[in-house]
Amino acid sequence: MSNSPARAAFDREILPQLDLLYRVALRYTHDPARAEDLVQDTMLKAYRAWDRYQPGTSPRAWLLAIMRNTFINQYRAAKRAPVPVDLDRLEAQPVYDAIEDSDPEGQFFSSIVDERILQALDALPAEFREVMVLSDIEGLPYAEIAEALDVPMGTVKSRLFRARRLMQQDLLEHAIEMGYIKPRSATP
Amino acid sequence: MMNCDDAKRLLLDYLKQELTPEVTGEVREHLERCRPCEWHERFERNFQRLLETRLRGECCPDQLKQRIVEQLKGEK
Repeated sequence: MSNSPARAAFDREILPQLDLLYRVALRYTHDPARAEDLVQDTMLKAYRAWDRYQPGTSPRAWLLAIMRNTFINQYRAAKRAPVPVDLDRLEAQPVYDAIEDSDPEGQFFSSIVDERILQALDALPAEFREVMVLSDIEGLPYAEIAEALDVPMGTVKSRLFRARRLMQQDLLEHAIEMGYIKPRSATP
Repeated sequence: MMNCDDAKRLLLDYLKQELTPEVTGEVREHLERCRPCEWHERFERNFQRLLETRLRGECCPDQLKQRIVEQLKGEK
């Protein structure tokens, strides 16, 4: 499709998504070299499948779905699939209620270094992490995330809700440990 | 009139601008007159801002972009 209108559409719709794609790939692979390979594989697949893209639908969601499938297939092939986590058994405490008196606006968050924030994100189960990356970091609407991950919107919402709580809990514990915030029992 | 339980339930969708304008207005109205809920909203918003500002800085390396463009040139 070189020099065709299809090629022009591909360049227009897909190439601007490379930064997003790379950041999401980093959170899948946790490794810059593997993230680069994943982005490259994804772009090649997207290019070859471009005639199956439906104009008017979200190019981001389409592209992210290709990347996710590519990543999952690579994992399967390498038998590196992560141990499945029973998501329903993960308890997520309402963090805000715990610190309401001492730090109602969550100022303690800003004391935490980037590396520790990233560590908390990467510690989440993959299903939670990907929703959080697409919503909280990349700002995609629920509908696009649902399309990219091939799950109902309700699932996106509930995963996001619980992912945020789990990560807030982790960061709160860290902040208490570091002395950025006092634990509730220590507040008057 | 919206109560705190309703506001809490809708807070995340409110933050994500996923509610209808009408419901958005109702939540906003509640937040304006309820201090604890307003704090909660700020807390959740600060958390989101933290993720956006700290973890969205990375860009696709230029040499990777270059490599992809070259690779696609080789495709039909």
